[in-house]
Amino acid sequence: MTAGTYARPGERRAGPGRGSGLRKVADSEQFNGWAFVTPGAALIILFWAAPIVWSAVMSFQRNNLLSPSTPFVGLSNYRQMIHDPIVSQAIQHTLVYTALFVPGTMLVGLFLAVAMNRNIRFISVYRTVAYATMAISTIGEAIVFIWLFDPSYGIANYALSWAGLPQQQFLNSPSQALYVIVAMTIWGWTGFAVVVYLSALQGIPQNLLEAAAIDGAGPWRRFRAVTLPLLSPASLFLAVWLTINALQLFDEVYLSTQGGPLNATTVLVYYLYDQAFQQFNFGYASAIAYFLFLVIIVVTVIQFRVGRRFTFYRS
Amino acid sequence: MAMTRGPLRRTRVLAGLLTLLAAASALAACGTDAQGGGGSGSSASGTIQVWEGYTEVEAKAFAHLVAEYEAQHPGQKVSTLYVNSDDALQKVLTAVRGGSPPDVAYLYGSWAPNIAQISQVVDLTQVVKQPGVNWSDFWAGERAVATVNGKVIGMPALVDNLAVVYNKTLFAKAGLPVPGPDWTWPEFIADAKKLTNASVKQYGTAYVTPANEDTVWHWEALLWEAGGQLLSPDGKKAAFDSAAGLTSLQSLQTMAVTDKSMYLDPSDSTYANLFNSGKIGMLVTGPWDLSNFPNVKYGVQVMPSYPGTSGGHQTISGPDNWVIFNNGSARVSAAEQFLEWLTEQPQDKYFALQTGALPTRQSTATAAGFTQAMNAAQPGVATFITNLGNVQQARPQITQYPKVSEILGTMIVSVLLGKSQPQAALTAAAQQVNQALAGS
Repeated sequence: MTAGTYARPGERRAGPGRGSGLRKVADSEQFNGWAFVTPGAALIILFWAAPIVWSAVMSFQRNNLLSPSTPFVGLSNYRQMIHDPIVSQAIQHTLVYTALFVPGTMLVGLFLAVAMNRNIRFISVYRTVAYATMAISTIGEAIVFIWLFDPSYGIANYALSWAGLPQQQFLNSPSQALYVIVAMTIWGWTGFAVVVYLSALQGIPQNLLEAAAIDGAGPWRRFRAVTLPLLSPASLFLAVWLTINALQLFDEVYLSTQGGPLNATTVLVYYLYDQAFQQFNFGYASAIAYFLFLVIIVVTVIQFRVGRRFTFYRS
Repeated sequence: MAMTRGPLRRTRVLAGLLTLLAAASALAACGTDAQGGGGSGSSASGTIQVWEGYTEVEAKAFAHLVAEYEAQHPGQKVSTLYVNSDDALQKVLTAVRGGSPPDVAYLYGSWAPNIAQISQVVDLTQVVKQPGVNWSDFWAGERAVATVNGKVIGMPALVDNLAVVYNKTLFAKAGLPVPGPDWTWPEFIADAKKLTNASVKQYGTAYVTPANEDTVWHWEALLWEAGGQLLSPDGKKAAFDSAAGLTSLQSLQTMAVTDKSMYLDPSDSTYANLFNSGKIGMLVTGPWDLSNFPNVKYGVQVMPSYPGTSGGHQTISGPDNWVIFNNGSARVSAAEQFLEWLTEQPQDKYFALQTGALPTRQSTATAAGFTQAMNAAQPGVATFITNLGNVQQARPQITQYPKVSEILGTMIVSVLLGKSQPQAALTAAAQQVNQALAGS
C-alpha cells in the first residue's frame, strides 16, 4: 500500500506545528491500517504462526507432553526418521497414493463435469447428486466403503464372482488396501472436482467453440484444442489443491484400516498421529510434520512452476 | 474426527493436529511449572470441574448422581463437561499445559503409566487407604490399573472383561452342544470349524485386526490362559516368546489360516453387525456389545482354557480411571470427596442398574438381587459379572506399553493374515520388544 507516501488532505492541513502528538499517530494511514488488521493478525499469529513455530521447536526436543522435562536433542528426531523403516514405507505409500488420487480425481471430475455441462432434463438433480459426495461425512463414506469392499459380504467381491473373477481380500490384504483407500477418496472428492470444472466449463465462451466448429473441428478436436486449454487454470488449481490434501491423507485411513494391515496404509500423517497420540513421541511427530511441510512446499512450488507453462489465462 | 466434509477438511485435520501439538507446548512455555496453582478456571472454590465421556443413558445416570451429590453436600458444586473419551487424553494434556486442567477426568486405563508422569496428577495412595474407601472392595484388575509403580493415580471408573458370546441358534443348527463352563480352546476351535459354512458366508468366530490394542488384548487373554506371561516380572524383558505364546498364536493361526473359520475385521466395525445378523457363531467380546445383538438368541460363557496348563479360564479386563489434577488443595480435597462418594457402593449400584455397566465393587456384585436385576435388563450380563473374578492380572503398567502393543499388534495380524508362522513372528516381536524396553 501507499500508506507511507500518500498524505491525506486532512493531514496536510494539520501542519508540522501541531502534528507531533498522539492525534497525528491516530490519524495516520499507518495506524488505521494496523488497527484494522490487528484483530485478524493476532488470531492468525495465535492459531497459526505460534503453533508452527512451536512445533518447530518441539521437533528438536524429546517431548512427550506429559513430563515437564523436554531435553533439547538437536537433529536427532530428524536423524531417527532416516533410519525408521516405517517412515520410508509411509513416504512410499503417501507418494503412491498421491500419484493415483490426484489424476484419478481430476479425470473422473472432468468426465462428469463435461457430461453434465448441458441442458437436459433434471440436470440440476444430477449436479446436486455429484456434489453430494462432498456433503457426506467421512465417517459415512468410510463405513460404506468398508462394506462395499468387505471380503465376504461386499458388493465388490460379489461383482467379481459374477464376472467369474477370483475373490479379493481388499482391506485385509497388504497389497490391496491402499488402492481401496484411493478409490474411497476419489469417490469422496469427485464432487469437488466436478464443481470446479463445471464452473470453468460454463466460463468458456461459446463463440470460440462455434468458431472452431466453423473451421471444421469435430467434437473431440474442439474439446482438445479449445476446451481443455481453457480449463487449464482450473486444472492447475485442482492439481495443487488435491496434491496438498493427498499428502495430508488421514481421515479415511484412521476410519477404515488404522494404517494396516501390517502398515500397508500407513501414510505420513497417520504415522505422525500414531507417534504423537499413541506413542507420546511429540518431538518425533513434530519432526515428521515438518518434513511433510517441506515436502508440500517443494511439490507445490514445482507444480506452479511447471503448471504455468501449460496454463492459459484469458484476460 | 471431522464429521462434515468440505474442501478444507484434510487440511484442517493436520492443522488441528499441528495446532494442538504446538499450542500445547506454546502454552507450556507460558509457564505452568507452578505446581497446581495455575488454574485460571472460571469456577469458584467449592466448584469442581469434571470431564466425562458419557452419552445417552450413562449421561442421564451420571447427571442424576451429580445432582444427588450436590443436594447431599451443600456448598459443593460439580460442573461436568462432556469430552469424548477417545480424545480425553489429548484434551487433558492441552489443558495441563495451559495451566487449567479439569479437577477430575475420565481417562482410559491403558494410559495410566503415561498419565502418572504428569506432575499435576494427584497421588491418591494415602486417600484410598482410608477405611471409608474400602479399597480392597474394588476388583483386583481395577486396583492394578489404577496403580503405577506402587502409586495410586486414579479411582476405578469402569470395569469390563472378555468372555465368549455365542449364537444359540447356530449351535443348534450345527447340532453342537452349547459351550459349558469347563470348555477348552481345542473345543472352541473345533466348534468354530463346524459353525463355518462358506456357502452361506457363515463364520465360526471373528477377530478384530486393526493391529491396535483391541487386537492385542484379545490375544493377551489367550496367552494368559495358556499359562504365559507378556513380560518378565521386572518388566524389562519380553517373556511371551514361550511355549504358551506359541500355543496361543497357533490357535489363532488354525482358525484364521487353516480352517478359515475366523472372520477378520480390519476396521473393528463390522463384526458386531455380522454377529447380530447370525453370520458369526462365537465372539470373544465384552459386555458393551450385548446391546448390539437384539436380533439373535445369544448365550455368554467364560473364556475357554488350555488343558494341561495353570492358566485356567482367566480373562483380561480394561478398566478406566477417574484421575484428579491438582488445582490447589481446596479443589483437590473437593474432588477427592466427590470421587469417594461417586464410587461408593450405592452409587456404583445405581449406575450399573441404570446403564448396564458392570459393578466396579465386589460388594455391589454380591448385593442381594443385583445380578438378577442386571441380567433381566440385559441377558448375559450375569456371566460377565461373575467373570470379573477371572481377572487375575493386568497388562504391564509401563510407559513403553503403547510401543509394545504396536509390536504385538503387527505380530498377531501377520499370523492371522498368513504372512508369518507363529514361531517366527514371536521371535521377531520379542526381539523388537526387548529393544523397545531397553531403549528408554
